[in-house]
Formats: sequence, C-alpha cells, structure tokens
Amino acid sequence: MSSRRKSALLPALALVVTSLAPADPVAPDVGTAYRIPYRVTDTNHFLVRVRINGKGPFNFLVDTGAPALYIGTEAAKKIGLETPEGEFWAPIDTFEFEGGAKLASIRGRIEDPFQLVGMNALGLPGATIDGILGYTILARYKIELDPTRDRMVWTRLDLEPKEPWVPRGAVAKKAPTEMQALTAMGGLAKFAAMFVGKQPEEERIAQGFLGLELEARGGSLYVVKVLEGSPAHAAKVETGDRIVKLAGKKVFTSRDAHESIAKTKRGDSVSVNLSRGGMSIDLNIIAGEGF
Amino acid sequence: MKPMNIRKLFLLAVLVGFNVGLAMMVLSASQQRRAAANTTTAARQDVPKTAVVPFELLPSNHMVVRAKLNGKGPYRLVFDLGAPITLLSNSAAESSGAIDAKAPKSILFSMRGEGKVKALEVGDLSAKDLPVVVFDHPALKALGSFFSGPLDGIIGFTFFARYKTTIDYKAKEMTFTPVDFEIRDLMKDLPKQLSGPRTARERILAPTGLWGLRLGEPLEDGSGVRVAAVLAGSPAAEGGLEAGDALLGIDGRWTTSAADALDASRTLEAGKPVEVEIRRGNETLRLSVTPRDGV
Repeated sequence: MSSRRKSALLPALALVVTSLAPADPVAPDVGTAYRIPYRVTDTNHFLVRVRINGKGPFNFLVDTGAPALYIGTEAAKKIGLETPEGEFWAPIDTFEFEGGAKLASIRGRIEDPFQLVGMNALGLPGATIDGILGYTILARYKIELDPTRDRMVWTRLDLEPKEPWVPRGAVAKKAPTEMQALTAMGGLAKFAAMFVGKQPEEERIAQGFLGLELEARGGSLYVVKVLEGSPAHAAKVETGDRIVKLAGKKVFTSRDAHESIAKTKRGDSVSVNLSRGGMSIDLNIIAGEGF
Repeated sequence: MKPMNIRKLFLLAVLVGFNVGLAMMVLSASQQRRAAANTTTAARQDVPKTAVVPFELLPSNHMVVRAKLNGKGPYRLVFDLGAPITLLSNSAAESSGAIDAKAPKSILFSMRGEGKVKALEVGDLSAKDLPVVVFDHPALKALGSFFSGPLDGIIGFTFFARYKTTIDYKAKEMTFTPVDFEIRDLMKDLPKQLSGPRTARERILAPTGLWGLRLGEPLEDGSGVRVAAVLAGSPAAEGGLEAGDALLGIDGRWTTSAADALDASRTLEAGKPVEVEIRRGNETLRLSVTPRDGV
C-alpha cells in the first residue's frame, strides 16, 4: 500500500521540486507513511522493534529526550557491530523498523546509557531494552502517537538531522566529557540501577486451540466447520452442532466463546455441551497448539 | 564550557538518574491513594479538539514548549517522550501554585514530593489535574544555563498518554488531540512490582480469528518462524500457506516466533483479508489470508 501511495505522490513531489527548485528530497521515501507497531513497557516507555544490518529484532526506546541513536553494547556485540578505531560513531548499513520504515547508511553510538543499564538490571520494563532512538533518528519522521492505537504512524520528512557535535580526536573508548554530559542529560527523568534484584520478563503464552469455526444465528452459537485434524475434530464435534456451554459457561455469541476460553492453555481439557438433533451431548476437547 | 564543570555535571546527572528512581519509590507510598483518583478523571475534561503547539529545538536537540501553569507563566518545559513522569522545578511549582510554598524541602535536590497542576495550557489546549513531581533536577538546570536560558520542568508520559500526539521536527510543531486513555499509574505499580515475588507474569495471547495454523521453532537467523502444519480447508490453507514455509510477517508485523505471530493476529478482525509474508525456498511471497470467526 505504501508503494502505491508513494507512486501517487511522486508526480506531485516532482512538480513541487521543479516549480520551487529546492534540492532533491533526502530520501526516496519522503512522504511515505509507515504503521509502526509499538508497546508500552511497565515503566511507561514506548518501545519499537528494529533490525540492524538485517539482524535482530531488537527493542529500542522512542526517546525525544536523547540526542542521538544509542545501541547497547550487548546488542552491538551480538551482531558484530563495532566502532572503527579512533572514531566516535559506528557506521550502520541498514536500520529497519518493524512496520516497514528503513534507513540506510546512518551512524549510531555504541554505549550503554545509564538509565538502560538500570532498567534492564532490574527487569523493570518487562522486556529487555537494547537501545535508544533519539533525535537523529526520530527527526527524520513526522511521528504520530495515539496511545489508544497499537501502532504509531511515521511519515518520512525531507530532513536529514546531523549527529551532535563531537570534538575532534574523540576516541571510541572514552567519550568526551561534553558528550557524556549530554548523554546523561538525554535521560533526564529516567530510572537507573538500584540493585534490588531482577524482575523476570513477561511470559507470552498461546491460548489453547480448538479448531471450531463458529457462527451466531438467532441468539445461538453454531459450529459451521470443524477443522480437520484439530482437537475439536479429535473430540468428535460435528458441523451443525449448537454450542450450549463452553468451559462451563453458557455461550450465545462467538465473543462469549472467546471469553469463556480466554485463560485456556494448550493441554487443558475444555468441556463442551452441545445440542445435536435435539440431543444434549457432553464432550471434552483437549486444547491444542495453533490458532 | 569549563571541562571541570561538565565533568561534575555529568556525575550529578548520573546521580540524579539514581535519585529520580529513589525519589519515586519514596513518594509512591504517600501518593498511592491520590494517584488512583488522577487516572480516572484525567482525560475526559479536556476540550476535544486539536491544538497546534510550536516548539523550540535546543542545540542539545531537546524540544522546549512555552506553557502556562495554573494561568501563570509562560514557563519553559522540555517535552520528553522518553520520560515516564512529569516534573517541575521548585520555583515553577511554587510560583504556579502547583505546590504549597510552605511544603517542606528535603536536603536532596530540594525534593518536594508530588503536586498537581490544575491546568497546563499550551496553545489552545488545557490539560487538567496533571500530577507532577517537584524537585530541582541539576541536569535540567545545567541544560538551561548552557543551551537556552532557564528551564522549568519536563513533560513526560503522564501528559502524552492523554493525547494523540504528532511531532513534526521539520515544522517544529507538535499537535495534541485528546483521547480517552486510562493512564496506568507508574508510581503505584512499580514499587509493588519491586517488592513483589520474582515470578514471571503471564500474558495469554488470544487470537481474534481462526487461521488453522500451527507454528514451530523460530528460524535461526531471526527472520521468521517455521510453519509446522496447515489444517486442510482452513483459512490459512485457502490463503496458500503450506507446512514448511517460513512465516516472516503478518500485517506488517514481524513474526520471529509463534508468540509474535499470535501477538500480530490479536489485533486483526475475522473476515478481513490480511497480508502475510512468507519465504518458501528462496522466494519471498506475499499471500492474503482471511481469518474466520472461531476458536
């Protein structure tokens, strides 16, 4: 869809370029909008996922209070990203965001800003944070963030921000004090380490799978299809059965069905009361893996 | 800039990083009750229209906005999407009446505890009853004196969570449209979490539609997850998925594990076609799958 939008925009852009005659846009995707999935951590931070040089994914913090792009030392090590001898910034070939936005030939600082070390040490965010997206990345996009939606919208701007100034002769091992101070200020109101132990990361568990295609008709819920080879199939549920109760709860709509098995995990036995040709039938489905 | 000062400053900033955390833990006990009230009343009182707010970009690349606090000001505030709280300096909090001038100060950064701004006005927008933490952040002071003139505070998550926010660095403006969003209370939850048992919290991922798909192990290169089985006659089969395919993405979300794929499918609607990206052999394919209603 983005490419269609892009092609529709290109003639318009070309017109603007020829009539006002500014420099060419900084990137071919200027004006393209990307839907970027994000999550909010337990510490109220916004996280997006990125792939660096095709590797990852990594969790990065969206932080307008940070002056540049920071890649944690652990993540950098994992993908073999290094700062060249005598340089301050590490060159990155491709930097790709979940949702489709992509940057090429950018630079980042390999470093562990103190607030990340602290938060990760505590396990507070509920997910490991691998780096920080600061001004040099964020300023390339117009960023729309609606906390009631599960995605941000990033639209590429015709803007190529520069890295913060780094004094000449700055070596990778030891950042200049000005830069260190700036980095520290970048994380103005954030947490740092207090060694009280680490919280484990949140565990994502798949809901148990039954394999029933459902349809609500006239206030009742019917099985319109039993997927072949599914747990419901093994339990001998049949097409046309009316589901009266699922996991002990009366169900009338598919929403009811979703709710009654909301806590069901793989391997759980799910009781189902069916009405088939006027007969009441009780079965147990062993919830399986899948969706 | 004298190097000595900067070095000192850096140390201070790091220390404060510690102490913001510490301060919040200390404060949290006293404010748990009040905070609960803040979360429920906050969003609905705002005028439901979009406000356009210009910002100044400091040489340090921070966004600064002029805002009125309780009708006083304007004050100069740093808007920081990465800050989980909103904080005001002592002088701004006192002169705006966000905190009682007689409230005791602690020795540490003149810590004053939690206050509340009845109205924060930026452009046409007025945010009501914004909870703030009051103390003099040395890094904020330093940032102000080196780069811009005095800064009065940091606006963080507790503000942003109330709005659909647009940041346009090119136009140097932000727009805010009120949304109805329940703000999770960081101050209340975190101490609990810190003192609570060290058990992993579970989140059960419930797909909204039926695919007929079973996924296997994540691929070694992190690009996707292996499709273990596709049930005959299922939406996944009709969409052209096959066992052995590498599932790379659903609706633009990366699927590097079965949990990722489930997370992606949670936001989809049954009956609506969705783009699925797979790799089969050396080919990358885009398929369309229409999940159906079911469990």
